[in-house]
Amino acid sequence: TETIKAVVIDGYPARALWVQEFTNFFIPEVDKRLAETGNYQMDWQESYGGTIVKPKGVLEGIKLGLGDIGIVTTIFHNSKLPSQAIAAATPFVAADARAVARAVDEIAKEFPAMQTEFDAQNQVYLATGVVLDTYQIFSREPVESLADIEGDKVAGAGMNLRYLEGIQGAAGVRGGLTDFYNMVQTGLVDHAMLWPEAAATFKISEVAPYMLRADLGAVNSKTITVNKDYWEGLPAEVQEALQEVAVLYRDHVAGIAMDRAEESRNAYVAAGGTITELGEDQRAAWADAMPNIAAEWAKGLDDSGQPGTEMLQAYMAKLKDAGFTPVRDWAADAATN
Amino acid sequence: MTPVEIGLFSIVAIIVLIYLGVYIPIALGMVSFLAIWIMRDNIDLSFALLKIAIGDSAMEYTFATIPLFTFMGLIVSKAGLGADIYAVMNQGFRRITGGIGMATVGANAVFAAVTGSSIASASVFSKMSVPEMLNFDYNPRFAVGVVAGSSVLGMIIPPSAMLIIYSFVAEQSVGEMFLAGVVPGLMLAAAYVAAIWLMARLTPGFVGGREVEAATLMPWSEIAVKLGPIAGLILVVLGGIYTGWTTPVEAGAAGSALGIVIAALRRRITWRSFWETVIETGHITAAILFLITAASMYARMLGLAGLPNELQTILAANEFSFFWIMVLLVVLMLFLGTILDTASIILIVVPLFLPLIEALGLSLVWFGIVAVVAAEIGLLTPPLGLSCFVIKATLDDARISLKDVFLGALPFAFVMLVVLVLLIRFPALSLAILN
Amino acid sequence: MRSAVKRLADGIAMAANAAGTLVVVLLVAVVNYDIIARGLFNRPFLGAVEVVQFSMVLIVFLQLPDVIRVGRLTRSDGFLGLLAVRAPRKGRLLSRAIDLISAIFMALVVYAMWPEFLEMWASQDYFGVPGVFTAPWWPVKLVILLSAGLCVVHFLLHVARPLIDDQPELESGS
Ligand code: NA
Ligand code: NA
Repeated sequence: TETIKAVVIDGYPARALWVQEFTNFFIPEVDKRLAETGNYQMDWQESYGGTIVKPKGVLEGIKLGLGDIGIVTTIFHNSKLPSQAIAAATPFVAADARAVARAVDEIAKEFPAMQTEFDAQNQVYLATGVVLDTYQIFSREPVESLADIEGDKVAGAGMNLRYLEGIQGAAGVRGGLTDFYNMVQTGLVDHAMLWPEAAATFKISEVAPYMLRADLGAVNSKTITVNKDYWEGLPAEVQEALQEVAVLYRDHVAGIAMDRAEESRNAYVAAGGTITELGEDQRAAWADAMPNIAAEWAKGLDDSGQPGTEMLQAYMAKLKDAGFTPVRDWAADAATN
Repeated sequence: MTPVEIGLFSIVAIIVLIYLGVYIPIALGMVSFLAIWIMRDNIDLSFALLKIAIGDSAMEYTFATIPLFTFMGLIVSKAGLGADIYAVMNQGFRRITGGIGMATVGANAVFAAVTGSSIASASVFSKMSVPEMLNFDYNPRFAVGVVAGSSVLGMIIPPSAMLIIYSFVAEQSVGEMFLAGVVPGLMLAAAYVAAIWLMARLTPGFVGGREVEAATLMPWSEIAVKLGPIAGLILVVLGGIYTGWTTPVEAGAAGSALGIVIAALRRRITWRSFWETVIETGHITAAILFLITAASMYARMLGLAGLPNELQTILAANEFSFFWIMVLLVVLMLFLGTILDTASIILIVVPLFLPLIEALGLSLVWFGIVAVVAAEIGLLTPPLGLSCFVIKATLDDARISLKDVFLGALPFAFVMLVVLVLLIRFPALSLAILN
Repeated sequence: MRSAVKRLADGIAMAANAAGTLVVVLLVAVVNYDIIARGLFNRPFLGAVEVVQFSMVLIVFLQLPDVIRVGRLTRSDGFLGLLAVRAPRKGRLLSRAIDLISAIFMALVVYAMWPEFLEMWASQDYFGVPGVFTAPWWPVKLVILLSAGLCVVHFLLHVARPLIDDQPELESGS
């Protein structure tokens, strides 16, 4: 039996959902497969929580070989990994982590763009992870419709700040997850955009007891990658095991994310929170008032020689086939633009 | 080499280099670079580590608190805020033996709430309190000792550069660290006042001094004028952070802007002195952040070697008790405190202990307070005790030797140690304010 | 020769220092602008975080050469001071050796950052979120690269110092 060393890195701490499942699911699954033939055995060194890299540094850490396998948080790297923004650029399509994870992962495997981007960073793409089922709006005051958000300040981060361009006079205020509680409590913002599990973790119900169920949609934010030089040195059997388990991990994590989302919504109500559904007409009005960020995203890729528009069309088709009805067909718009 | 051997070997190498006088960031960076090279037999990996550490360590949003709070402290001391608090405190403590000493402690505690550095406190108060105490026949050693001892309050009571550095290393919220520092800081100030009271009774020779004659007392209106600006600053800075209206970075920026306004209104600042203040801020920031960058390289080298994983395994196998981990921590901190500055101690020691503390399920906020207080004892101990150096340099008085400053500071270092033990024993002292 | 190089290097370090100083002022101004724009006018400045991060790099690396020039880099000089009194020749030798090691370390930084700069220049990579606020990476890498280069020069100037004209200074920001 040959022993192969693997340094796994993430900048997030071991208690984060996807890191925890890497330890409890990914690693034992790989070990199990390898044990079947007994040819190889992995010697895992798990270095999380900033011991080798910070959350934003995983991509570079894998690129430079400071880690062999890593969980890259792709939303930090709009410039180097533009195609990863596919789900963030298409809100109001599917609020289901499992479906989005599968669709994005298939896009990654059917089109060259995502793999090329990681290849340029000297790493091999394994699978996509989705840990965020959907953004919702959490408010200090009761919110029934979009009119209650117009002209208000809304805390958000990254790409979701652009969703607010579809609401009259709403101003995005950026902040980290840890700041949202205070921002809402002090009235610095009137609303905060985050997903129910994060809302539960940070006790948002204490300061924002009104949740507007807007179901903006699940967003892919994690990708498992392997350093390319390391990958090329791995025996085929190990490569195969890693690849297969990565796909299982993708579905496993997305499933847990959905379970947690459900629990978190129940906990929110139990803690005194009120959930109001945003009407279909309102969701449509919001989506239609947004600039077509999906088309912008696709055009950016097209211009750089990647099939952005085709990826967008294929992605929308996959989710439609999976039974989701997009509130706005971003791809149809993109084609006529 | 096993990870533990690499850890031990590298720390010995770093201490030897530092003792020889190698610049601390260079020692940390060079040892890390070579350690990776030797360990993995791959110099590309060393360059990778260098690139990552240099590239992203300075680019941390919360680090903006370092220049901002440094600048705020420098500008308000130019505006004479330190002198004002001191005058008011002196009046309050005038009837008590050792009163000027207590006033120095009290004024330092208040001034600490608007400065992030002990150096600022030490230089401001050695110019004001020491001559005053000598006038009233206090023992020179006691006079400088009080200033040295109370200067550390500047970095325990928030805002504090050291709490910021810790929160970076341990990935804790700066705001929470600041709040946790309030009670321990006030406790240390109270312990100093009590110690002075005891010393004045038990060892009057060491304290010296005579009672201050009741000169003309300040009316309440003047007290209000003297304390108004600092109260406003504390309100803006700590109020902003505590209520969540501002992030610590924004609080620092708002405080800096307010400091400029106060200094300008009091006509205590010229374009030239403003420029000098900013340059000083830049120098301090660059020196600290370069040190942090090098230390982050060192911590990542240990991570790459697998030391945190190894320590966890050892801990799990041996079940070291909380007591022995704390004894080890305090001894190591006190030892390093004799030769290193506070920031370096925190940056070197904290990464070694974080895995142990996390594994025990202890609060990292509490541990931060313990680590910072333990490291700050080093400000008062020879041969390298920065607060003492600053006092000696600022006073520039041939009658007071560096040895006098260190001897005078010794009782205060001891009080710190006692307070440290209490903080370790009763975590609620640090954490109660958070809940 | 040394004095001509020194004059030039000193001038550049001081100019960089002044530029870094302006960045400190800019930092105070930008953050306060954001607080006011957000609080009073509902118009937060969405690039505040990136600008703050960017200015931190500028402050540190624009000022670092000057910190080295004036000898304020953190060190513990107890032993050097002792040696300067007991065995001045050995003390000078040690002091030069230390500056040489430091120059080598900063040269390693230059070597590490050079390809990084070229890559960012070629790819025009940015940080931030498109449509919200973005800033290019390459100026960050360039400042670090030039700063490290200037640090090498200043350490070498310390090595070539004719005599120890002053005690190695002791300083720290703490
Ligand atoms: Na302070
Ligand atoms: Na010391």
